[in-house]
Amino acid sequence: MRIKARTLEALYALLLLLPFLFTLTVFFLYAFVRALYFSFTDYDLFNPPRFVGLGNYLTLFRDPLFLTALSHTLAYSFVVTALQTALALLVAMALNRPLKGITFFRTLYYLPSVVSTAAASLLLLWLFQRTGLVNQALSLLLGHLPHLGAFALLFLAFQTAQVLWERRRGLTVPFFDPALALFSVPLALLAAWGLGAAGILEPWEVRVEIPWLPTTARFLGIPYPLWAIILMNTYTTIPTLMVLFLAGLKGIPRTLYEAAALDGATPWVMFTRITLPLLRPVLFLVITLGLIGTLQLFDQVLFVGGSGGAPLEATITLAYYVYGNVFPSGATPRVGLASAAALFLAGLTLLIVLLQRRFGVSERGWSA
Amino acid sequence: MSPREAARRRWARVAWIYGLLLTFGVFFVGPFLMGFLASLKPDPLEWPFTLRFAQVSPKNWAAAWRLGRAGSGDPWLGGMRPGREVVLEVAYFWPEDTPPPLEAAVPRRRPGAGMGAVFETPYAADHVRLLGPELVEKAPARLGEKEGYAYRFRLRVVYPGEGPFLERVPLDLEAPRGALYLGATLDPTRFERRGRVASWDNVVPGFVGYVFHNYVRAFREARSLETGESLFLRWTLNSFFLAAVKVITTLVFASMAGYALARLRFPGRQALFLFMLFSMMVPGQVTFISNYLVLKDGIFGLSKLFGVETLLNTYTGLILSGLVGAGAVFIMRQFFESIPREVEEAALIDGATPWQTLFRIVLPMSTPALGAVAILTFQGTWNEFFWPFVVLTSPREIYTLPLGLLSFRNAYGQVGDWGLILAGGFFSMVPVLVLFAVFQRYFVEGVSVGALKE
Repeated sequence: MRIKARTLEALYALLLLLPFLFTLTVFFLYAFVRALYFSFTDYDLFNPPRFVGLGNYLTLFRDPLFLTALSHTLAYSFVVTALQTALALLVAMALNRPLKGITFFRTLYYLPSVVSTAAASLLLLWLFQRTGLVNQALSLLLGHLPHLGAFALLFLAFQTAQVLWERRRGLTVPFFDPALALFSVPLALLAAWGLGAAGILEPWEVRVEIPWLPTTARFLGIPYPLWAIILMNTYTTIPTLMVLFLAGLKGIPRTLYEAAALDGATPWVMFTRITLPLLRPVLFLVITLGLIGTLQLFDQVLFVGGSGGAPLEATITLAYYVYGNVFPSGATPRVGLASAAALFLAGLTLLIVLLQRRFGVSERGWSA
Repeated sequence: MSPREAARRRWARVAWIYGLLLTFGVFFVGPFLMGFLASLKPDPLEWPFTLRFAQVSPKNWAAAWRLGRAGSGDPWLGGMRPGREVVLEVAYFWPEDTPPPLEAAVPRRRPGAGMGAVFETPYAADHVRLLGPELVEKAPARLGEKEGYAYRFRLRVVYPGEGPFLERVPLDLEAPRGALYLGATLDPTRFERRGRVASWDNVVPGFVGYVFHNYVRAFREARSLETGESLFLRWTLNSFFLAAVKVITTLVFASMAGYALARLRFPGRQALFLFMLFSMMVPGQVTFISNYLVLKDGIFGLSKLFGVETLLNTYTGLILSGLVGAGAVFIMRQFFESIPREVEEAALIDGATPWQTLFRIVLPMSTPALGAVAILTFQGTWNEFFWPFVVLTSPREIYTLPLGLLSFRNAYGQVGDWGLILAGGFFSMVPVLVLFAVFQRYFVEGVSVGALKE
């Protein structure tokens, strides 16, 4: 008997899909359904699960540690997404021009994002130690405030002199004319350095020793150690998002900007009226990816915590809460509770994706 | 506006943009560069942070090379063998006419803390003899306001008779108050007791042993308690092995699945695709509990057929649970959709099966997508933390590099041995950085393709 071509094709598809279906079924579908089931039970890995209904979900919202983890996760997620989206867009716009050597800069900027979270966390730990580079840089900056002040004043002086000179020649120049500033800035730098070298300006004795990690102190409601993680992760994710923005920016026709320039539009108007609206699909994609990624923060919490590091209540996130309840040190695992928290996290993620689908423009428009 | 004026403005704008790009460059590369330099220092947390330290001075590189060769014949990693002798010269400023009394000793010092402290290595103090310091030169000198003499001393470290190979020979040199250190063949590792004691961790370091001191320590000090082999090396090899296997399985299985999803008609195709997208959005924290249990039981007891009780703490378990990722399937599918059908149709008319079409015709022209998938998979596996952390718990020999770094951090973070921690972190970056330098196009392409959703 001959098999129909249609059936044969389907059989081939099954054959080709088999390994993928194995992974997807056993390690995703089955796992997802089981997590759902566990979340309605009281399970400790050793005794058989006991059905408790919605009990776990109710317990979650009475657990102060969960609420801390939730607030940390949300705060972290929103701050990092906002920071990295804005900065990545800024860098992408700086890179989006036909200049010599621009590919070199693109490669250079991509560097932080190829590094593992483990290695990045170790770097973070070192940077934010009490005598780490961050505190040293802050000390250096604060100690040289006189020099910075002198630099600012000198720059204003040189710039004013040049602008007045140009205006006397009958040319109309704006005060912060870039061509003139190109001379004022190096001159002011040189003069400020000279004042320091001549001993007229003395650096102040400043020693910033902010304990970034072993503390529960908060800044703007977010603990210091979490700020350290926020800064580090923003820094390592910018390059990836920058690549996405660059791809999006390439799709905007140059002629639009040229026409706007002819009509006398300022750069700000061009940014808000041309770049942003046309970039909206990419913007939504970047924000979604950012939110999904940041909601799962785990590795850094583990690295930054531990011996001599940050206290857990200052860094705990939802992902860590889940792990900590499945493998607690010296206590019975609370798998049911952990599953409920994990599903809550998944629900949060899906909610964000759905919101993006609802309010974002369909991505079809720009990928073509 | 005159043409000259216009040109000037254009140049100014270009200059500002390059300035901006350079500033961004400092921001993106600076912390890594500083961290790398710090990882060469004996104390990466020194205050103030200097960029001119002993490990970056060519004079010390040459000296370390010579001393290493004199000590063991190995100019790279140094060490000391029986029957060898090394000579070290030190210069001090001393205001008086008689030479300052110096006290030199080979201290009994344990190498490192944490994991390294467990092992008993032969002490150099038990085997070598120190001759000197003997005065070789005296010259009048001025140091600022002070008049005095520059005294040059020679120290000889000899290793007579028979004995074990010594990895390091430390040396302490104590000078009286008022004597100022001027220089030495090899600059000391650190000064102790208000600068009076110059201390060398190793006077026979070799070039690598001196410049990459912390890196060598990372390999030497983290060793397996049972076999004594270098744990750090083991972890690196483990990571390489896992990444290689996963790249192969992903390439094969993702192209198969991607091709089926892109080209073949079968019931439930659209549903499967949507389900795949859904699986990419669910965080790993949801599925790891069940997956942990599945591996614990050996995938529904199947592994017991092969005589394996559990797949926890095995690479088989880790590989089987991550045969192919949805992301890779997605990239391959998108790529196959983008290539014209005509070529394949010709093959199909000639009677080729989809299997043959895929492997003989489609894959050979899919190198860009395969490259992107291979690179992203390698990077992903090399950097992956959470799932291996759950599956591989003991013994430490089976860790991957990121897990090893965590145990490093926990072993040395408390004692504050940041040189070792940083060295471990930077070493783990090397393969990905090399890969990135060679295949950077694929990295960027992979990101753009992987993010495009239909």
